[in-house]
Amino acid sequence: MNLKISALEYVQQVQNGNISAEDFISKTLEQINKVDEKLHAFLSINDDAVNQARVIDKKIKSGDKVGSCFGMPISIKDNMCIKGSKTTCGSKMLENFIAPYDATVVSKLKQQDAIFIGKVNLDEFAMGLTTEFSAFGPSKNPWNPEFVPGGSSGGSAVSVSAFECLMSLGSDTGGSVRNPASFCSVVGYKPTYGLISRYGLISYANSIEQIGPLTRTVKDTAFMLNMISGLDPNDNTTINDKNGDYLLDIDAGIEGKKIGIIKEMMAEGTDPAVLSATNDAIAKLESLGAICEEISIGMVKYSVAAYYTITATEAGSNLARYDNIRYGYDFPVEGYEFNSYISKARKNFGPEVIRRMIIGGFVPSAGHAGKYFLKAMKVKSKLTKEIDEAFKKFDFLIAPTVPILPFKLGEKIDDPVALFLIDINTVTANLTGKPAISIPFSISNGLPIGIQLFADSNNDKSLLQAAYALEQTVKLPEVPI
Amino acid sequence: MVTEEEIERVSKLMKIDVDDHKEYVDKVQSMINYFDILDSAGVESEEITMHEIPVSSLREDEHIPFNGKLIEKLNNYKGTYVRAPKMS
Repeated sequence: MNLKISALEYVQQVQNGNISAEDFISKTLEQINKVDEKLHAFLSINDDAVNQARVIDKKIKSGDKVGSCFGMPISIKDNMCIKGSKTTCGSKMLENFIAPYDATVVSKLKQQDAIFIGKVNLDEFAMGLTTEFSAFGPSKNPWNPEFVPGGSSGGSAVSVSAFECLMSLGSDTGGSVRNPASFCSVVGYKPTYGLISRYGLISYANSIEQIGPLTRTVKDTAFMLNMISGLDPNDNTTINDKNGDYLLDIDAGIEGKKIGIIKEMMAEGTDPAVLSATNDAIAKLESLGAICEEISIGMVKYSVAAYYTITATEAGSNLARYDNIRYGYDFPVEGYEFNSYISKARKNFGPEVIRRMIIGGFVPSAGHAGKYFLKAMKVKSKLTKEIDEAFKKFDFLIAPTVPILPFKLGEKIDDPVALFLIDINTVTANLTGKPAISIPFSISNGLPIGIQLFADSNNDKSLLQAAYALEQTVKLPEVPI
Repeated sequence: MVTEEEIERVSKLMKIDVDDHKEYVDKVQSMINYFDILDSAGVESEEITMHEIPVSSLREDEHIPFNGKLIEKLNNYKGTYVRAPKMS
């Protein structure tokens, strides 16, 4: 059986009776057994997956109504709740936490007969871009296991790239879906803010984060959005999705569309191979009839500093709830004074989370807020104005997803500012709420390069059309696992 | 330039007790120092724009019972209360 198919091809093959959900799930579990010891995408596996597949096969055979997923294996980043299963957030603080309810995205996929094959690795509390900050060890890049897979949704990207599932859900606060998608050569999507409910996603920085799919093809991303987007009474930041069917007219093309090339995202420091790939992508889009022109977005230079200031502030507040008293790891309260207990319990946070919590306490504090937090909010406002202005002239914007190629594990872990700067091309979409997608485009020295396209808010459907057009121009080698 | 003392004070306020203090201070210092770039953004006169959600757009303020006995799943649950450490 061929695991190297798209989610939509799977649906077709199950509907045609060529394969059964049970066979596909069993084969997928075999693949996980075979490759995951080396790649470490998964933190937990669904032991009941084969039984769940049998139930779906039975429904198919008896002609009962079956959901659009037909029992396909989907992995879920371990910061989203699946009722009754462990949700660790990559942290020792939540090592034994069993989620008491389903995230909205999980409920929606359950209704469509998806099978959650397992929960996948991430940087602790989604803070990082390599998975090296996971308390349970890093994931490895399937293209070369000595290299990082990107993050924080690294487990999601690895599991899709290495055929350990058909699709995955990650979360993107500053590029955490698009960065690992680029590093592992899969499609990664950050939707318009509010398009997908965050209910049941463990909060990091609520004002900018979104759940997003990681898939093998742009069409699969459209398929996933059809199932999980829309208003949710449990998340009042959700918006009414007026895009309609994302798959319909996905091949509309980009002839006559105007695309702005963001100058500041191809600046000094961009790897020559990444620069060359981006120029190739621009040439291909032009050959399809798009009109590409350079544009300057001055605030991009300050976006990373603004992003880390704002996210650390929100994280400092969000993570205050982890006092280990009502839930958390096994650490008896007897004999401790209240504050000293919490301080001791919080030692189970990893180093990056602790650093960001300290920053999150510092930058909005009295005496410092004017210099840091308020200025960061002003940069966010001005950046949004600049991007809104750009979309008056252009239909889409383009830039490399990440300015550099994947790097070796351990290479940058001790240099937090160097890690910051890798986010320079992705944080803009989060700070402005705009949708953005990373499309696998090229392989350089055996390592993937992704190209990023942005659209204006609520133009998710046309963004997928542009991404699909670019995707059709690319033929990449198979991942060498 | 943020000082070591300022970082230590904030760590205490955030209830963070770390063993390898110097290591944290150095890295946090380098991270916060990077944020000084915001000073040259020229945004002093910029208005902070907020996305407002009117109360009318919020869901009804009503009690929705949670299925399952969530309270029983809590750590340190003693039948009628959750045991917490002593307040000094």
